[in-house]
Parts: sequence; C-alpha cells; structure tokens
Amino acid sequence: MNNTELTPHIEEIKRVLGNRIDDEQLEAELNKYLNDYHVDITAAKRGIIRKYGGADTGFATSANASKKVADLTGTEQNVDVTAKIVYVEAKEITVKGLSKTIVSGILGDDTGTASFTIWEPGSVQLDKGSVYNFRNCYCKLWNDRVQINIGNRGKIEAANGVEIEVPNTGASLSASDVKIGDIREGMGNVNVTGKILSVEARKINSRGEEKVVYSGIIADETGKVQYSAWHDFGLKEGEVVNAKNCYIRAWKGIPQLNIGDRAQIDRVDGSIDVDEGASVKTVAEVTRIGGGLDITVEGVIVDVKNGSGLIKRCPQCNRSLMNGLCTTHGAVDGVQDLRMKIVVDDGTGAIGAILNRGDTEKVTGISMASAQGLASARGEGVATRELTGRILLRKVRITGNVMSDDYGPSMIVRSADVVETDIQAEAEKLLAEVEGAI
Amino acid sequence: MNGKISPRETAWRVFSNELNSSSLEIKATEEKMPSYLVSPLGAKINRVLVAGTMTEKSNSGSEEEPMWRARVQDVNGQFFLNVGRFQPDALAAMADIEPPCFVAAVGRVRAYTADDGRTFVSVRPERIVKIDEATLNEWLLDTAASTWTRMKWMREVVSVPDAKVPDLIKMGMSPVQAEGMLYALDNYGSMPDSAVYLKTIQNALRRLLPEKEVDFGFPDGVEDGPDEIDLDEESGSGSGQTHGQMEDIILNLLDELDTDGKGAPRDELERRAEAEGISGIELEEISNILMDKGLVYEPNLRYLKRI
Repeated sequence: MNNTELTPHIEEIKRVLGNRIDDEQLEAELNKYLNDYHVDITAAKRGIIRKYGGADTGFATSANASKKVADLTGTEQNVDVTAKIVYVEAKEITVKGLSKTIVSGILGDDTGTASFTIWEPGSVQLDKGSVYNFRNCYCKLWNDRVQINIGNRGKIEAANGVEIEVPNTGASLSASDVKIGDIREGMGNVNVTGKILSVEARKINSRGEEKVVYSGIIADETGKVQYSAWHDFGLKEGEVVNAKNCYIRAWKGIPQLNIGDRAQIDRVDGSIDVDEGASVKTVAEVTRIGGGLDITVEGVIVDVKNGSGLIKRCPQCNRSLMNGLCTTHGAVDGVQDLRMKIVVDDGTGAIGAILNRGDTEKVTGISMASAQGLASARGEGVATRELTGRILLRKVRITGNVMSDDYGPSMIVRSADVVETDIQAEAEKLLAEVEGAI
Repeated sequence: MNGKISPRETAWRVFSNELNSSSLEIKATEEKMPSYLVSPLGAKINRVLVAGTMTEKSNSGSEEEPMWRARVQDVNGQFFLNVGRFQPDALAAMADIEPPCFVAAVGRVRAYTADDGRTFVSVRPERIVKIDEATLNEWLLDTAASTWTRMKWMREVVSVPDAKVPDLIKMGMSPVQAEGMLYALDNYGSMPDSAVYLKTIQNALRRLLPEKEVDFGFPDGVEDGPDEIDLDEESGSGSGQTHGQMEDIILNLLDELDTDGKGAPRDELERRAEAEGISGIELEEISNILMDKGLVYEPNLRYLKRI
C-alpha cells in the first residue's frame, strides 16, 4: 500500500484519536504494521488506535441485541442497554500498580436496576437522572447480580427525549432498619444507627467540579462499615447518628454505606457499645455477607498454597515476581519478602488468607533471615516446607478486610495469632451444657 | 450453573464412629460437582478434619510409588486413611510419620458399599501432620462441640413436622447444614441412636477433664456403634471367599502373569481366576475395587497391571 492509499486510513485513525498524533507518526506506524509485520489493514488500524489509547469505534456500529435490564443474564458479550442513571461516581483504582480513574454506579430502566462500570471513561460525563444509550456493553455475574461493563469498545450517548421511570428496587420506599453486621451487597434502602469512628474529608472531581466527600467508618455493636457522605452533614468522630435512606454498594465484595442526596441524618443521644476492635464472625457468616472491614475469624489452617514462603517482589509495583519476572515491568531486581497463602477452616466454611511477612514470622516463629539461611543452605523448597510444617493444622485467629470472588471469601490479614485455647474451661462449659440438656 | 466454580468444601469435625456409620452418598451427577457422604447426624461431608493416634501404617504400593494405609484412633473408633500419589503433600509427609504418634489430617472422604450393603468409609488426606497432645485435645473439644450441635439440631428439626430447608435456615443453620440434616432424616429412616454419640462426647470429655468424673450414664460396655471396619477383611459375596481374599488372589495372579512388564493379559487372568473360583463378574468387581484403591491400573483394555 503506498502513501496515497494510506491517507484515508490515516484520516480515519486521526478522527478516532482526535488529532493527537501527527500524520508522519501514523504513517510510520501503519507502514510498520502493514509492510514489516504483514498485518491486514483492519487489524493494523485497530492495533494503532489501541496503542494510542483511543476507543475503537469500528465495532460500535455493528448491530447488537438490545436488552432490558431485567433480561440481562450476566453472560452477554455485546449488548445495548438504554437506561437512566440512578447513581454515579468516579473512582480511583489501582491496576497493575498504576492508578486510574473509572466511573461506576447504578443504572436502571422500567424493569430493574444493575450496577455498571465504565473502565475507560475518558471525557464521558454522566448526569444522575439522565437517560443514556449504553452500547457494546458486556455483562458479568457477581454474587448472582448482573454487572454491566463498558470497556474500550463501549460507547455511551445521551438518549435525548427518552423518559424512563425506574421502579424503586426492593423495599427502597420504606427503608428498613438494619444492624451494621448484617449489611450486605444488594440491599435496598437502609436505616442505620451507629457511632462515627472516623471521618475524613476528601476532595474528588465529580463532573468537572470539585466536590468534598466525607468518608470514614461507622460502627454498632454488630460490626463496622465504611461510609461515604455526599453532603457535609457535619459528622463528628464519636457521635452516634441515625442515618436514614442510605444505600449499600459493594466494592470487591466489601459492602459500603452511602449517605447520599436523599439521606437524612439525626443525632442520637446516648452511646452505643462499639467493639472498636474487629468483629468475630464464622466463615459461614462472612461468606453470606460477602465481605467487610476488620473481620476476625478463628479456625484451623487446613492448607498452605503455592506461592507461600520466600518470594521476590517487583521494586516498582510491589507485586510478586513469577520466575524472576514482573508481569508488568519485566526483568527487575526483585526485593525479598516472606508471606504465606493459607486456607483457614472453622468447621462452617473455608476462607483464603494472605499473611504478610510480620505475621508469617510471628505464627511460624521463623524469621525471614533464618528462612533465607535455610533456603540458601538446603533450597527454597525445604524452607517453605519448614514454614508450612510449623503452622499446618494449627488454630489461628486472623483479622483483616475480607472480599469475595468466585472462589469464595478471602482476607488480607492485618494481624494473626496462634490461638491458645483454654481447653479445661471450654471443656467444662460443654460438659455443663450437655449435662443440662440430657 | 455453567462455569460456576464451587467454593472450597468445609472440613467437617466428626468423630470416627459418626463418619464410619455414614452410608448415604450424594453422588456427583456432573463433572466438577463434589460428592458428599451424609452422616446419621446430618453432616454433609466432602472433606473432614480428623485427628488421633496413628496406630499403624503400611505401604501397599511399591518402594518407588508408595500407597500408604494408616489407622488413626480417636475416642471410640478409628479412621482409615489412604494416601496415594494423588495427594503429593500428604504422601511426602507420610514418609516421616512413624506410629505411634498423634496426627491431624484434612482430606476428602470416600465411601465404598459392599454387596451386603455395608459401607466402608476411608479418608484420603490432602495434608497430614504430626501434632502434640494439646492440639489433639483442641480437636477433641471442637469435634465434641460440633457433634453436640448436630445432635441438638437434629432434636429440634424432628420436632418440626415437614420442615423444609428455609425453616432450618431460620433456626440458624447454614444452607449446607440444613440440607444435610433433612437428607439424613429422610434417608436414614429414623432418629439416630443418640446414646452412641453421647457416649463418644462423654469419652472425649473424660480425656479433656481427667480429674472430673464425667459420666452421662453410659457404661463402658455400651456398643460403640458401627462394626469395626476393615477393608482388608470385608466379607464377600457368593463364592464363599471374602473380597479381601479375592483381592489377594488377583494381586498374586497379576504378579505371576505379568511376564513382560506389560501387565497381565485379561483373557489369561480371567481363565486363572475362574480356576481359583472367582467368576468373571467377581473379577470385574475386584479389579474395580483394586483400581479404586490405586493398587492396579489398565495400561490398555486388554491388560491389567499392578502399580
């Protein structure tokens, strides 16, 4: 293909990328794809657009199935949805060590609501209450709820003149009173009474304007949950409040309490007995709730997974290296670390957990230095086996934040201890109970 | 549910007499679906956490590819453990464990039902470690408490006529516990004999509280529940020989007929087995058992070979 023939394609790419890249560079790129690598023109254009971060519009014109929210099964690869924004926010997330902004929220049509995430928001601005056409979305199931994803193939356009009435899902008209320990994803409107354990004002950029969000931890006697308040309710640390008409959203299975526009905050006299420490739960309870902050679980270490023991981490993104390579940064000079990936089972269920260096040293009684010594003398396998042998089938108490995925719940452990049971006392308790019952 | 990964199965804390008297299997009907064994007290078991004293171990495989069988005594009975090459972590650990010693193991359960309807339950440890007495006592306590909880629930459930899973969940059970409980009540035909399990709890508490005179009123002579189970001495079928005896004969024949390392030819094996009084059907059955036990395999359809 000569330069004249290339011109229309270059123009096309420029339209997508918005004139960010000059012609010469695009021509060089196209030449490389077409002539050096013998790629066909469609794939070449797509590759170049991707490389420079453009959304590929080549797909957006193809006709897709359009569905109502309630008809989504969670398996759609390419679907169009016309829906009204019920709630929207921008989020900072960390992907492969780099932070990026995504937009997520809840959308709905006359059949129901679903959560959505826009992974490449670019300059997209969504207004709450407005109706949009979401094209080329893909759906996933998470905790049996459909999530709509708008990736780099997706496209969002305002559906002017379309009116949609979103039914209030669940019991949202009359919000129900819940205990914080029972909060789980997918709940409708809730009323919560709890003590503000912390409050922090954060500036965020919402729809181009700066906004202050007040977030922190609220707790009652059953547990604690992270909250975000979208107005300045003047929340103060230590006060007990009754928050009406809040809603629950979950991030990676950790439910969060949102005190939004429709919420009402009342001060409550008196105090609540808050266990400022972690709330102790069974694995079955944790599995039912899906996740949460500062949860303590006690159980037996029934397995130690691959990837435990001495590892090397990437000095840039801190992720563990695979065969000496970082999946993002390639060959790097790894930093030595120690960790254990364990499975804890309490008889009601099993939860995966990752112990950091400090906790690994504490529960195994082996320091990183002596593990290294053992590894250099007799091999890493022996070191891992020694570490594993010290904790396998021992009872531990672990505390940390829990999230869930398809494999069940897992905890990033903040503190871990080997449990020393007072067997005498516990046995006497059981004895008394059995004797009383027979 | 397509593509849905099942979360890890819970390791149930059960005493050997509850485990060994389990005979209800919920077999997997789809690939990757777990199988369960439901105990008389309603534990819906795929995986167990067991502990006790390892009293014996023997290698029924070869030097190069060991297949360990071990017995672990708890309070009123024993667990039967099989460790083969599909449990590499446990296999490596077994080499260093010499009975008698205290051990704890987590593994999947496996049931085999003989012709006479008796079910033999064994455990295939994924992990096994030597433990100290304090850790064993912890297990005894947890298992006694867990057994007691199942007994209490069973009593409660019996008092609710036509209880369904949601009713039981309202009573505080997890869905798995509720399913197991109802399945046990529907299929074992009656409430289990609570004396057997109470006595086990009593004996566990006696070990934990030696200076207390724990007595729920069961003399030591009370029948400890299920028969002593021994896969080697299974009573057999019509030929008058026990399965154990037939297994030995077949294993010997395999050694004898495997002249070139390819294994024993099927037709030859069939003829010789017939001469020993083992019918074709019995041979089929025994070879399946031996394959299940991991002692033999089929290099191809016309041969059977010892591992």
